Amino acid sequence: MSQKPDSNFQVEQAAATDDSIQQVHAQLRSQKPEKKDGYSLLPLALLGIMCTAVFFGSIYMAHNAVRFDPLVVNEHAKREKPGKSTGPAVTRAQMGKPIYLNTCAVCHTPAGTGVPGQFPPLAGSEWVKGNEERIIRIVQHGLTGPITVAGHEFNNTMTPVGATLKDEQVANVLSYIRSAWDNNAPEVQPETVAKVRGEIADRKTPWTSEELLKVGGN
Amino acid sequence: MKNGLILFLGVFATMVLSWAGVVLAANKQIGTLPQFKDPVDESLNPQPYSGVANQGRAVYQDLGCATCHTQQIRYGDDGADIKRGWGERASYVRDYLRDETTHIGQSRLGPDLRNLAKRLPSGAEAEYLYKLLYAPDSKLGGEPLARGMPAYRFLFEERAITGNQPSYKAIKLPSSHAAPAGFEIVPTPRAEALVAYLRSLADTYDYPTERGLNAPAEVPKEGGKEAPKEGGKEAPKGGGH
Amino acid sequence: MNSTEQNARAEQREIDASVKWPVLVFLGSGLLWLLLGGVFQLAATIQLHTPTFLADCAWFTHGRLAPAAQNALVYGWGMNAAFAFGLWLMARLSATTLRHGGWLFVAAKFWNLGITLGIGGILAGYSTSFELLEMPRYVGLLLLVAYAIIGVWMVTTFSIRNTENVYASQWYLFGAAFWFPWLYSIAQMMLIRTPVRGVLQAVVNAWYLQGLYGLWFASIALAAIYYFLPKLLGKPIHNYYLAPLAFWWFVVATALAGGSRLIGAPVPVWIPTFGIVASMMLALPLIIFCLNFLGTLAGRYGAVGGSLSLRFMVLSIAGFLLSSALGLLLSLRGFAAIAQFTLLAGLRDWLMFYACFSTAVFGAAYFFLPRVTGKQWRSTALIQAHFGATALGIVLMIVCLGAAGWQQGHLLNDPAVKFAEITRGLAGWHTFTSAVLGVLLIGHVAFLINFIWIACPINSQGTAAAQIAPPPALGLAAKEGHA
Repeated sequence: MSQKPDSNFQVEQAAATDDSIQQVHAQLRSQKPEKKDGYSLLPLALLGIMCTAVFFGSIYMAHNAVRFDPLVVNEHAKREKPGKSTGPAVTRAQMGKPIYLNTCAVCHTPAGTGVPGQFPPLAGSEWVKGNEERIIRIVQHGLTGPITVAGHEFNNTMTPVGATLKDEQVANVLSYIRSAWDNNAPEVQPETVAKVRGEIADRKTPWTSEELLKVGGN
Repeated sequence: MKNGLILFLGVFATMVLSWAGVVLAANKQIGTLPQFKDPVDESLNPQPYSGVANQGRAVYQDLGCATCHTQQIRYGDDGADIKRGWGERASYVRDYLRDETTHIGQSRLGPDLRNLAKRLPSGAEAEYLYKLLYAPDSKLGGEPLARGMPAYRFLFEERAITGNQPSYKAIKLPSSHAAPAGFEIVPTPRAEALVAYLRSLADTYDYPTERGLNAPAEVPKEGGKEAPKEGGKEAPKGGGH
Repeated sequence: MNSTEQNARAEQREIDASVKWPVLVFLGSGLLWLLLGGVFQLAATIQLHTPTFLADCAWFTHGRLAPAAQNALVYGWGMNAAFAFGLWLMARLSATTLRHGGWLFVAAKFWNLGITLGIGGILAGYSTSFELLEMPRYVGLLLLVAYAIIGVWMVTTFSIRNTENVYASQWYLFGAAFWFPWLYSIAQMMLIRTPVRGVLQAVVNAWYLQGLYGLWFASIALAAIYYFLPKLLGKPIHNYYLAPLAFWWFVVATALAGGSRLIGAPVPVWIPTFGIVASMMLALPLIIFCLNFLGTLAGRYGAVGGSLSLRFMVLSIAGFLLSSALGLLLSLRGFAAIAQFTLLAGLRDWLMFYACFSTAVFGAAYFFLPRVTGKQWRSTALIQAHFGATALGIVLMIVCLGAAGWQQGHLLNDPAVKFAEITRGLAGWHTFTSAVLGVLLIGHVAFLINFIWIACPINSQGTAAAQIAPPPALGLAAKEGHA
């Protein structure tokens, strides 16, 4: 049908008028291609693809939208909503870690090893793992004089840090040192801290290890 | 579709659906997200930038740094961002509340900068950044400071040294890039602001709510992916938080 | 038959004459932006492997030059070219002349003024830093006003149409004309005028980008393909009854797929997930487009060799399919984890904008400019150069950006590889890209020269009058493969 193609490209020749294009296609809109066996496979195949797409799309949404939670950015996060607990699953020890690193690690080092001869270690320390009322006192008023920790002698003064920390913060940092570095002691509760602080409120001077050993059983 | 009206309605509905489904819904969810109040020390996080750092953010924007640098840390499965040391945790939505204009970026021709402040040499952060901006091709241990990054000399001023000694603001440069004798290189206020901004790029706070909600599911997904690693237990780098 | 043919032709000549000057102004200014933007883009790519290039001038630092180049190409060339083609085609298919075309000059002037101010603003340091919305805030209103005129013209031309039937190209043109101002104004409001908070800005930006590339540029390219295939082959679109389904599915899925650009981003995870699902839904319209386009071309590839516009349309179809396929791939989380911030993501957008849209407009321009001006193209050598450069450039760019992006992605995901190594590894690819951009630029210069010859009255003495044979009517019978 076509005229000779203009291989010089100086003018593109059209092969159909605009209105005929529109007319013919309008007719084609309602016409499906005839097939010998009476039905056309194509629409069925496309319908199948549509349904598959919608189906798998919904499953994917269900799995990866994580309840449409605005705070979740991880598609692999747990899909069940966390229970209606008082808050997120954070332990006291986790909350205490930054306090430790900011306040205590200066001397006791981030790894809890202390400095031999100067600052006692907290990792493996029986004082840390033992009665909590002792370490609450140490934190509150400091410690001075000789003390034996894990078989080593220390004779130094620890500055009191209690003035800047609230009950809950003290509980958190003590819980941290009691559970870090293979220490396996139970956490400290803010109520205990409050009670102890109430008992020792009048004291002004740092503790000594003899006084502390008298506190509570061993 | 003979009817132009149907076409119009359909086209209009597409736009409404698109805007409502993506933008409006997102706006409802995170458009008014507040800062998070720490349960223990009652600080509001993320803490806003200092004034100078905020100006620096505007310099970052004006120089188009987001063309080559991203500021988003992806989760462990989605790439090696955390393994590369670009962050200790993935970025959360709330981290970006402090940015008036968020530059999360879309191209990594340069490294991710979200936690740049944590990777700077401690004690010499500003010095390092000034050197990086002025002479990124200067060598540090045989390698250029930032291969491929253009120099931003127009952020600095070369001026004659007045008096007996260089200004305290003059930047220290290696001999290959040092100013000629009698001259010093001094950062302009824009450079100072930019460096202040870069030094405050650190998402330090680990939001308990986000951490809990984003904790990965323990069971591997049915696609056969390997069980994702726990997100919250990386060993701390050094003593800082 | 003869007299109706004559009447039809006269009407068409009227239509073409009524759009002549607006089309020439839009296309001409578009071509100038294409060259300027191309030069900027070339310079910016050179800066990637030679960072000292132009680094001392604050105006041309990479962070300003690269966005300026992108905006010049997209808004300067892309939009102007789209206006030129869209106005012509809408008038043609509505079988009505373009009324009061003088207003379109005002629009063109405002548009180009706005872009000039915008590019200048970016280079001077007032960028907003949102991808493809970097132009400073004072430009937005100017562009919207200019667009309002153009958009209203396109929509009104459609609404006063003389035809009973609405063809596929008209759906796409109408849709595009309607969607763009909404996309643009909402993005301007939510990002620049009254910015939303935090990372929501990134969501709006991604939504805008998806709309710009899919609902505007892709739609206009599809309008061109749907028109030119039957027009030049004399054969109706194969399986045309599926075209409405493809239209609606394509536009709805594209409009909702913005989130797929945000995989792994610090946004609520349902946004990228939803975007991925919408993106995957695009597979169906893609299949239908393949049936429509490749089915129409089947057995007719010989004709493609003889028709310039068809050659460009084939490139455009290839570009569309490749870009969509890459977009689908990039929506897979596993692939995105590798390819997310690399040159591959840039390749997807470049393919849609250049390999699909720009080639479609080139092909259309080679068709309508002789009809609109009444003159022939003067130099076939330049035409061959343009086509050759474009085709070669596209193939090379796919190879280059594809390989570079893939390598970049793998290296980025290997924590043992230092970042400097990645930059060193990519330098060669950036050099290659600069060369390819140079090739493309040569093609564009060739086109501009031909354009000037055909369009400018001063030089038209040398350009022969176009001999346009009246085409036959399209026959239904022709669909079964008659010659």
